Order: sequence, then C-alpha cells, then structure tokens
Amino acid sequence: MADEENSSDRADGDTPKPEKMFTLKKWNAVAMWSWDVECDTCAICRVQVMDACLRCQAESKTGSGKQDCVVVWGECNHSFHYCCMSLWVKQNNRCPLCQQEWSIQRMGK
Amino acid sequence: MITLTRKLKKETTVSNGPPITDASKRVSVRDRLLVKEVQEMEQTLPGTCHVNFENPNELFNITLTVSPDEGYWAGGTFHFHIYVTEDYNMAPPEVKCLTKLWHPNISEEGDICLSLLRQNSIDSLGWAPTRRIKDVVWGLNSLFTDLLNFDDPLNLQATELYLKDKEAFRQKVNDYVKQYAKR
Repeated sequence: MADEENSSDRADGDTPKPEKMFTLKKWNAVAMWSWDVECDTCAICRVQVMDACLRCQAESKTGSGKQDCVVVWGECNHSFHYCCMSLWVKQNNRCPLCQQEWSIQRMGK
Repeated sequence: MITLTRKLKKETTVSNGPPITDASKRVSVRDRLLVKEVQEMEQTLPGTCHVNFENPNELFNITLTVSPDEGYWAGGTFHFHIYVTEDYNMAPPEVKCLTKLWHPNISEEGDICLSLLRQNSIDSLGWAPTRRIKDVVWGLNSLFTDLLNFDDPLNLQATELYLKDKEAFRQKVNDYVKQYAKR
C-alpha cells in the first residue's frame, strides 16, 4: 500500500512542493497621515493648528467658531492660529518660536 | 486639580444642551493651559524645588519652595508666590519672593529680576507664549546658581558688597539665611 501511494505522489510532478508552513488568510492595511506643515501644533495655545484654538473652543457655544479659526503662516514658515498670533503681536511683533520679526506669508486652512 | 478637570469635562457635556448659567461659569484659557502645564511641571520638577497649591481649585496660585543645595544660599529655604494672571499665556506670571534674602537679583522687598518674567523685551530672553510654568520654576531655581547675575543687579548694595569683598558678601548672605530662611 505504502509503496503505491509514494509512486502516485511522484507522478504529480518532477519537483514535489514542500508543505507550506503558513497560509495568509487575512490582512489589514494600515496608513498614516499628517498635515503637511512644519509645526502642526500651535505653540501658543498648544492645540493642533487645524483645530479651533483653545480660545475659540472655550468661547464658541454653537461650534461656529471652528470655521472662523484660521491658520496663519509667517515669512519664517512657522504657523499658529490667527487668533493666538494676533493677540501676541500686539505685545511683541516677533515670532515666539524664532524671534524673527513677524510678517504674514499666508492665511487659511 | 481633579476638580478642575471634572469642571472641564462637565462643561463639554453641557455645551450641547441649553445655555450654561453662571453657576458653571466657563473655564478660562488660562485654566485650560494650567491643567496641562501643572501636571508637566510636577513631573519635571528639580530636586531642590517643591510646589504647593493652597487651593487645588486655583491652579493659578502657586507656592514654590526652593532649597538650594549648592552656592551661596545652600542650606536656606526660600518661598515664592507665583500668580498666573488671567492674561496668561500672553503675559508672564507675577512672582514675589516671600522670604527675605540678600541677593543681587532679588530685592529685600521680594521683587525679582529674571529676564523671562519681563513682559516687554527687545531681546529673545523675555516672556513669550511658548514659555511655560515649568520654565519659570527652573528660572527661579537657577537664580541661586547659574542665573545669579552681578551685572544686572536689583539689589545694588548686594552687588557692591560682592565686588568689594566676596567674603563679607558670603557672610551677609549667611546671616540672612540664618535669620529668615532657616530650613
């Protein structure tokens, strides 16, 4: 009996495939993302620049503040919430991160 | 601190419902910043420092105790009161030294000359909203060692004595420590 089986196995192919140790049954893909900005957290209120700043979060009752709270980029490429930065430049017109004179490069989301 | 966190939590749950009454007044930006900062400060406190809150609901009233282990003031215990104003973090905290001492940068009345506590400064050393309470604590602690500065004195007599006679300066510092800052 055993001899017969062996001979029939060999007949399947010239190079018998070794038995697989693992079989992939299921897989999950994981992706990461981050905002394409140099600093994604506002160094003044320590909230992500894409979220509403701490002040707007504290003051907004209806959630409308979230749309109005925009990001501002300086010529130095540092970004902050516009609300946070406009309060600070009243006292000292410099970027709090690099101490360069503050001038706005662009604003928006 | 725990109560403040609870207050914050309560506020967020209430905000979806009807308008909040004065009873649960909104938490200021200062208080929100402090909840995070105080925790961070306590984790990174220098060994020579100790902080205390007389009222755990008022994180803006901080008592700091510095017990230097080296330098002229070693062996003394110095108390500071840090008051974090409503304008924080656009404005630096107000700090007073509660212990009488003989120091070139701290007056006998308790006023303190520390660059990062200056609101308006043309150099990069003054206050900036990127600074935190822990920086203030480290600064005050360093006034007894690294930041001790005889070139920018608040107590002119202390500096003059130091420049004239270092041993007499050391003696006077010791006398003050024995009289006012005993551990």
